[in-house]
Amino acid sequence: MRVIRQKPMTLGERLYIFEAIRGLWTTLKHAARGLFDYDSLPTISYPEGQPEVRSTYRAKHRLMLRPDGTPRCVACGMCAAACPAHCIFIEATQSDDPRIEKRVMRFDIDHLTCVFCGLCVEACPVDALRMDTKVISFEHRTRDEFVSSLYDLTNWNPADYPEDEQSQKAPGGTLNKQALETWGMEVK
Amino acid sequence: MSNYYNMPKLPTENSPKVEIFVDDKPVMVPGDTNLLEALKAVGIETPHVCYHPFLPVSGNCRQCLVEQEGPRGRMLVIACYTPVAPGMKIYTPASSARVKNARRATQEFMLVNHPLDCPICDKAGECTLQENYMEAGQNESRMRPEYGKNYHGNPAHQFIDAKGQLRGGKHVDLGPRVLLDEERCVQCDRCVRFMRSIAGSEQLQLAGRADHTYITTFPGEKLDHEYDLCVTDVCPVGAMTAKYFRFQKRVWLLSHTPTVSMDDSLGANIWLDHADGRIYRVMPRCNPEVNRSWLSNTSRLAFQNFGKNRLPFMGFHVIQNLVSGVKAEGGKIALAAGGTCTIEDLAALRMLKDSLGDSAELFGGTFKKVGSPDGIAMSGDPMANRAGFKLMGVPENNLADLTKRAGEFKLLLTVNLDIFGEDASQASALEKIQNRVVLSAFNDETAAHGTLSCGVRHWSEVQGTMVNSLNILQKLNACPVCPDEKIRPAYEILSELAGCMFESAADAFKHAGKYAAALSGLSYDTIKSTGKLLEGGEA
Repeated sequence: MRVIRQKPMTLGERLYIFEAIRGLWTTLKHAARGLFDYDSLPTISYPEGQPEVRSTYRAKHRLMLRPDGTPRCVACGMCAAACPAHCIFIEATQSDDPRIEKRVMRFDIDHLTCVFCGLCVEACPVDALRMDTKVISFEHRTRDEFVSSLYDLTNWNPADYPEDEQSQKAPGGTLNKQALETWGMEVK
Repeated sequence: MSNYYNMPKLPTENSPKVEIFVDDKPVMVPGDTNLLEALKAVGIETPHVCYHPFLPVSGNCRQCLVEQEGPRGRMLVIACYTPVAPGMKIYTPASSARVKNARRATQEFMLVNHPLDCPICDKAGECTLQENYMEAGQNESRMRPEYGKNYHGNPAHQFIDAKGQLRGGKHVDLGPRVLLDEERCVQCDRCVRFMRSIAGSEQLQLAGRADHTYITTFPGEKLDHEYDLCVTDVCPVGAMTAKYFRFQKRVWLLSHTPTVSMDDSLGANIWLDHADGRIYRVMPRCNPEVNRSWLSNTSRLAFQNFGKNRLPFMGFHVIQNLVSGVKAEGGKIALAAGGTCTIEDLAALRMLKDSLGDSAELFGGTFKKVGSPDGIAMSGDPMANRAGFKLMGVPENNLADLTKRAGEFKLLLTVNLDIFGEDASQASALEKIQNRVVLSAFNDETAAHGTLSCGVRHWSEVQGTMVNSLNILQKLNACPVCPDEKIRPAYEILSELAGCMFESAADAFKHAGKYAAALSGLSYDTIKSTGKLLEGGEA
């Protein structure tokens, strides 16, 4: 254990007035920097300025898509089972595609309950769920709007993920045509 | 196949105890059974796939291997087909590395071409292969990715998937209620044995040999039998799936309520698997004396209508005033009970009759046709609690008398009795009765013909007891799926009409002891989950 003992104040410090002026000078300095040299400030003026978010940051979820545009999710419920906050609600149904047995009918994530731990992403056996959207702020008017539906989660643009190969296989991505051929669909 | 298999002998309470040596330790086990059951009786679980206590032993999965000391040294034998002999020496994986390795190898072979689609498999969570893997397997995968898993079964259903692997038979339509996934099948032939030996209609067969074996029906025929959904229960993997439950719910999200099916007087023991306030499926609950592990499709699928067309709780005070009014006038009252009334309901009914005095008369029974037992899980009698009616001294077959003498009565009170739905032509005579009060779970024909109707809880939502056709007292438990909290059990309403409301089902059961000597001295705690055989009953 380390004991930190405070040094006794010097006479100048004990006189108070000089230290008060020194503090005011620091405040004045920063105020002047904000007025004349804004860009050098280490803070950002949120929400006009947005922080830089890395793709590994656990942000809002998205559901990955197959080359034909259907969600990759097979509704196995592993994410819901792993979720410590119980904020994922899944309903499954039979798929019309003969190659796929089970498809997701309802996939709701309640972002008011979500603790953004990322366990759902870890649990997903088909890499359908990701948290790399970089969306970190949630602002809505009603509680219901915080619940992301299947439409909301699958409605993302491959152009926003230029580095990610899997995202480019979704419709609209650069690798989509190639992926569709492997997938076995006719490319029109 | 014409293989002859033996039914396993299960240990009972009266089994002679013999001493055998398990891992060199002496233990006393039941002597008239097979090794697997004997080890189970002393708490040693043996992993198995093809063995089922109520199916003939086939011994094809080789998962239950143990070592036995014999004249030629220690040999591997299958526990499910080895009878217990006094003094035999058995080695389990606890002491024998050879058994451990053998079980692991069997497990690995079984998983070689078994698809890894547990995430979309409905059996995941209650799958024997998953359990065995945790117990006997835990081997690292030696699968070569370039080769992958391949399906060699039914050539008609094979296809090559996007990864270039040989796949096949993901949803083969076996019949109106069952789907088959041929890839997942491990050829344990439990379903074949069930259809052959239990259902008595050999509709399923194994075709092909070795790893080309697959389950199929005869050409042009479908799997269609009153008990065909039992094949989905006996299937140790997710190969046989019931269409009604397919993808409905992951099994670990279901809660289970043990209760008794009131569709039939055998009172098949069932689990009500429920979640989110509704029943998702009904599974047979093992009771060796009643329905073993079987359940008819009628009882199994009946749950689909439990929540539909329900009658709300209403007009109770009007009924109260009506009953006391008729009593004050001195008019005659008919109290008619239906077959799904529990012992508690009957106790309340008897109490109501006593409070009304001589002006009230009890009736009971059904107009439905009474069939004969099928020897599996149905007695054919639609009046579930018939033996309970006899025990409680409530008439169980005098509805014809009621319709004949309908003119005498001022008031008719029916409890869980859909008399108009069962036989409208005979029941139409009852419209002569001026006041017809209906206590029913459903808004059925009788409720439509009644002058006053009030909803009560369905038998799946009440605690209670019933006596089945084998004179076994069985316990019903309340499944929390009642659509409306205000709806009350019939015994509560009846006892309040009688002027002394039962606090709980246990209270009602205690009262039942006053009317039936066989029930006095019993309580819910003394009734086992498999029921209690009554001695003093008349049935």
